[in-house]
Amino acid sequence: MNGGGWQRRWLAAHTALVYLFLYAPIAVLVVFSFNAARQTAFWQGFTLDWYRRLLDNALLFRSVRNSLLVAGLTTVAAVLLGTPAALALARHEFRGKRTTQALLYLPVIIPEVVLGAALVTFFGAVELRLSLWTVVIAHVVFSVSYVAIVVRARLAGLDPTLEEAARDLGASSFETFRRVTLPLAAPGILASALLVFTLSIDDYVITSFVAGVGATTLPLHIYSMLKVGVTPEVNAVSTLLLAGTILLIVIAHRLLQDPPATGDPK
Amino acid sequence: MKRFFLIACAAAILVSCGDKISVEVVRKEVNVYIWTNYLPREVIAGFEKRTGIRVSVDTYDSNEAVLAKLQSGVADYDIVVPSDYMVKILVPQGLVQPLDRARLPHFKNLDPRFLNQAYDPGNGHSLPYLWGTTGIGYDKRKVKEPIDSWQALFDERYAGRILMLDDVREAFGAALKLMGKSINETDPATLRRAAAMLKAQKRLVRTYNSSDFANLLAAGDVDLAQGYNGEIAEVVGNAPDRLAYVVPKEGGTLWIDNLAIPKGARNLDAAYAFIDYVLEPETAAKIVNGVHYAGANRAAWPLIDDKIRRDPAIYPPEEVLDRCELIEDLGKTLQLMDELWTEIKAQ
Repeated sequence: MNGGGWQRRWLAAHTALVYLFLYAPIAVLVVFSFNAARQTAFWQGFTLDWYRRLLDNALLFRSVRNSLLVAGLTTVAAVLLGTPAALALARHEFRGKRTTQALLYLPVIIPEVVLGAALVTFFGAVELRLSLWTVVIAHVVFSVSYVAIVVRARLAGLDPTLEEAARDLGASSFETFRRVTLPLAAPGILASALLVFTLSIDDYVITSFVAGVGATTLPLHIYSMLKVGVTPEVNAVSTLLLAGTILLIVIAHRLLQDPPATGDPK
Repeated sequence: MKRFFLIACAAAILVSCGDKISVEVVRKEVNVYIWTNYLPREVIAGFEKRTGIRVSVDTYDSNEAVLAKLQSGVADYDIVVPSDYMVKILVPQGLVQPLDRARLPHFKNLDPRFLNQAYDPGNGHSLPYLWGTTGIGYDKRKVKEPIDSWQALFDERYAGRILMLDDVREAFGAALKLMGKSINETDPATLRRAAAMLKAQKRLVRTYNSSDFANLLAAGDVDLAQGYNGEIAEVVGNAPDRLAYVVPKEGGTLWIDNLAIPKGARNLDAAYAFIDYVLEPETAAKIVNGVHYAGANRAAWPLIDDKIRRDPAIYPPEEVLDRCELIEDLGKTLQLMDELWTEIKAQ
């Protein structure tokens, strides 16, 4: 009996430590965004100055806007391209399926440096000028695979007889898709969208290769600050992004908790 | 399905519009690709107001980023700011274009000391913009006497409190300078002796670090740090009673960042206008006063804040600067240096 109590306490302590390990750096980041000192090394008192200066820093602001724009467009495009691919792979048999599958997973495995170099060479070959659009294209390239993988995993766990039943009851294949498959796959699609958004917003390596004029994203901007030292402005902007992300996750969580009852998703 | 199609169409239209807009605006714009905090907003605003040309600034974190972008052939930058050694790589590859001196009447303002360097003899392709040094940042309260020599980094008394840059050329630079040699020494026997010094020094070194050295010094983790002047000047400025920076009397490494125009730049007129604007004494002084790096513009000197002019972390004394050297490409010797460095680090 006593052993059980100890075990439970050990487990609790262990869990607490793991969470501390995961979240302490983030907590430090948030705390230091209110630090009066310019360096991240020591605490010199509370201030909101860095948030105020953020409003003043046009370049940093533009980089945040660029990052959000790229991540948003990438998410939409990747979901639109990746979901049909996942459907095809999960529900249909066709010639070359294995090859298609392998090719689809490749961007996940290839080192980012290689993908970045390949993309910039490709853009050079087709004379596509580097801009914010080339960043979006590059992000979609690696994101589609993630959507396909996540959505396919969700579809694989679903009962195919539900779709058969819908068709037996007279639904056209489009209706079946819209009223049965899509609502059931929705949590997977949403999860993949969140994943892709996150991957896109903090991608540095590939972006650094393909970003053109006016396309400096937040990670590029932060890295480029290293030469003169990262100021707490970056902590401030990271804190804001963090707050935004948490809000997004909370919303997503809420949405997922209400399973579509009879399936007429908006 | 229909909705998907519509969205796809909308996206396609958006993309094509985006292209058109950028093509039309091209003539009134100059695209600058530069290190962060290297161009005060005041300077950009002044140029835009005078010429009506919009300045678009993108930032990078390494010279290699500039190389990669220019090699792609599809980057639309009109001005780039590569460091000395990178100019030497860009010019032979034809990635930056020859500068037309006739279009830069304010060229005469530049300090001859920074012109005609080995990386671009005659400055046919580049103009010096800002420069800096490698030296020693130290905690005044923790060291025994004022630091003025690389010897301090090899001093037993400071064992465990020394930081060295994690950079083969800088580490060898310190040892070679202390031996009275050039940082671009190629004699294998001399290099081996320098390596022996660095090996013996390793016991004293707390950490080799090239990215966070100023913060570690400011936090008190080390008392002596080899480092680049810009970052160290920043922490010294916050704690001038406690910290200081010095370029050792033997001299250190010198770096120069340069303005250049990529080959195929689309806004050539705007690029020349911008560079010449930067060469004006008033602008050059505003840049130095804003970014706290030393400028290569001699005519701007009287207009620079007194505090900056007298800061040895930014402008080292003339006789020390005379002993500073640019890092040059050593060709095959670098391989030997790398091997020795690996030996030192792996010890």
